Amino acid sequence: MDVSQYLEIFLDETTEHLQNLNTQILELEQDSENMDTINEIFRAAHSLKGMAGTMGYKRMQTLTHDMENVFSEVRNGSIKVKANMIDILFQCLDALEEYTANIREAGDEGTNDNEPLIKMLNDILKEKAGEGSAAGKGEQAKPADESDGRKWLEINLNSTDKMVIGEAQKQGKMVYGATIKVQESCLLKAARAFLVFKAVEELGEIIVSSPSAQDIEDERFDLDFSLILITEASVDKVIAAISNVSEIESVKAEAIDLSVMKLDDESREAEEHKESMHKEAEKSDAGTAVTPAAVQAPQAQTAAPAAKQSAAVKQSGGKPVVNRTVRVDIEKLDVLMNLVSELIIAKNSLVAASEATMVQNGGAAQSGINEQIEYLESVTTNLHESVMKVRMVPIESVVNKFPRMIRDLTKKLDKKMELYMSGEETELDRTVVDEIGDPLMHLLRNSADHGLESAEVRAQRGKPEVGSIWLDAYQDGNNVVIEVRDDGNGIDTESVKRKAIERGQITPEQALNMSEKEIIDLLFLPSFSTAEKVTDVSGRGVGLDVVKSKIEALSGEVEVKSRLGEGSTWIIRLPLTLAIIQALMVEVGGEKYAISLGSIQTIEDVMPEDIKLVQNKEVIHLRGSVIPLIRLDKELDVTSTRKPEENMTVIIVKKGDKTAGFVVDELQGQQEIVIKSMGKYIDNKCRLISGATILGDGEVALILDANALI
Amino acid sequence: MEEIRIASETAQYIVIRLGQEQYGIDIRYIDNIVRMQHITRVPKLAEYLKGVINLRGEVIPIMSLRLKMGLPADEVTKSARIIIVKLEQYGTIGMIVDEVREVVTLDLETQVEKMAYDKDDKNNFIQGVGKYEGGLISLLDLNAVAQEK
Repeated sequence: MDVSQYLEIFLDETTEHLQNLNTQILELEQDSENMDTINEIFRAAHSLKGMAGTMGYKRMQTLTHDMENVFSEVRNGSIKVKANMIDILFQCLDALEEYTANIREAGDEGTNDNEPLIKMLNDILKEKAGEGSAAGKGEQAKPADESDGRKWLEINLNSTDKMVIGEAQKQGKMVYGATIKVQESCLLKAARAFLVFKAVEELGEIIVSSPSAQDIEDERFDLDFSLILITEASVDKVIAAISNVSEIESVKAEAIDLSVMKLDDESREAEEHKESMHKEAEKSDAGTAVTPAAVQAPQAQTAAPAAKQSAAVKQSGGKPVVNRTVRVDIEKLDVLMNLVSELIIAKNSLVAASEATMVQNGGAAQSGINEQIEYLESVTTNLHESVMKVRMVPIESVVNKFPRMIRDLTKKLDKKMELYMSGEETELDRTVVDEIGDPLMHLLRNSADHGLESAEVRAQRGKPEVGSIWLDAYQDGNNVVIEVRDDGNGIDTESVKRKAIERGQITPEQALNMSEKEIIDLLFLPSFSTAEKVTDVSGRGVGLDVVKSKIEALSGEVEVKSRLGEGSTWIIRLPLTLAIIQALMVEVGGEKYAISLGSIQTIEDVMPEDIKLVQNKEVIHLRGSVIPLIRLDKELDVTSTRKPEENMTVIIVKKGDKTAGFVVDELQGQQEIVIKSMGKYIDNKCRLISGATILGDGEVALILDANALI
Repeated sequence: MEEIRIASETAQYIVIRLGQEQYGIDIRYIDNIVRMQHITRVPKLAEYLKGVINLRGEVIPIMSLRLKMGLPADEVTKSARIIIVKLEQYGTIGMIVDEVREVVTLDLETQVEKMAYDKDDKNNFIQGVGKYEGGLISLLDLNAVAQEK
């Protein structure tokens, strides 16, 4: 069946489940007895398996199936959670992530069977078999004891198998269970098993085997294996045929009774999933009352039920009710956002038109229209805010993977550290959230690798042995601030200076005059690393410059505060939204430009004689600080409409810790503007301009990039 | 197969005028043709890039075909138009022309002569020459026009 249309949903949900598993397994590591966590893990693994099966990703299904088996035993209490098990489980998650990534990129899960992982999972299960029976619990273990070698009784039948068996019995064929034990001295168990299979297949059909045929082929079984077969021949004949194979120690076979056989969890499940997961089931269904069309319909929705079902399970498990949400394509939201932008432009032009008529009529008889326009204004503002909110997602989705990362780093770097996160619920525009993950990861790795000292050094300095890294997010006005903080070594400015001189990035003379701040800024230069040795984790010198450029591409800023020996703090400041901003409209040489209000400090009236020259550059003295002047008319290649002797209007703009005064001709007031790209062809060709906007009168105004100007 | 071959034998071009010469622009690239309007200058761009306009809420970059092709600067007359073209590689671009004349259908086998030309040649924007009712139409290679050289 064609499942490609569900690929998106599948990928989304798989990612969610994997994230969920990661979080839950981390919790399990802390509290290995927590039933809620175990149940949650089981459900997530289970849903994953169902979805992978539906989409036909066999390898993924196999792996999740084995994981699920382990969880199922954990849930039954027959396996205890151990540290090495957690490691294996994490490796499984990585493997699953790899599958997902492959599917996302190539539409195919790839060819990695991850056999070592599956083997490890099975080993866990085997361990259980011993422990379980000794402890006297563990449902599965019991029959093994009672069945005196009739291990086929343990084989779990799914509904399909059951149906096939039922069908065969109806046709008068015999169904046998058989357990074959190979001699201990046998060297080629798989080959013997193969011969057994061959002998049996001459007589009838093998329905199920335990372990699976694949496992047997790969010699993944102890000494015995079990089969369930359908044949017309008698039991004795079957036993004789099998015994003919050399190096077989014993064969037990008997006709089986369906009612004694157990249906595994999966088969109950399969009742719901069978349309998609078991095509054979579909065939037999079609033979009975169900018409093919009816089968087809539920099939089309299997991707969705997988999710629904997990939600349903959640509820029955006594968990809080799932949020009522709708999954919407981000493109649809973009369209909505564009329409809102258009509406704001239309509203702006209405405001402009009404002001124009007001001037003509001297303000009379206009109040009615004005009121309506004001009402319209408030509605559009609210609408804009609502649409913005729809696009906002908590940064949770990104930061959730970090505890796992820090856990892995703990092992890799052999340093003890703990990550404390707060403000995961802080919301940001979806587009920003998608981009922020990598920079944050770089900063965290940086803190873990360079920031935190080794245990010995920490002990010497009287710090707690376990290093701490904090990730705090919070909203601050129109910005969202994310801080990555550690109680490590801080930045050693002397060593940074030395490195920079070594690399020829600065001269020793320059180094003498550099402020702390300037030195720290050196870290953001491309390919700068102070790590003495290059590790797997960081130190390759890619990182901080990437962090900076990524954040700046999102119109954000990065700032570093550091105290040697006490730790450092990296502060990322991001705008809440990228699409609509408040701006100050100015005129330069008859042209209109917009400057983002966020970066404007004050507006000053400056007399020409107040301008001083420092190093041949124009500056002004303002409340104790010296501020360089930037004449926008010169920067923008136009001629100012003001005469040189007139007073100047200067806009004081602050970006990061840099301040400058922009000289403009006229101020036109504050306005809400919609940022538009200038088109692929000239975007980024002019550094000074960060975008364009359409004004109320339909004209285009350019948005000045204060960063580039300063 | 047969149908596709027949369809590809002819192509429609919009005939425009630049100075004294006639040029043809493949109609498949044309999104729109609009009258001259106020163009917002964008600083620090090449001379032939005149700025941007607002086309129904989209900001579109505008180039002067005359300047790009080394002709004297545009004199804006009533007949001047901006041809909005969409190119895979460069996005949407508006091109100022002196006049839009007509739409012609040319038979690619009998009416069009392909010109073998050097891709690196800075001044070649012509793909071929079309013969139509006694006149010659230079067929523009829009990607070459848009390319920065």
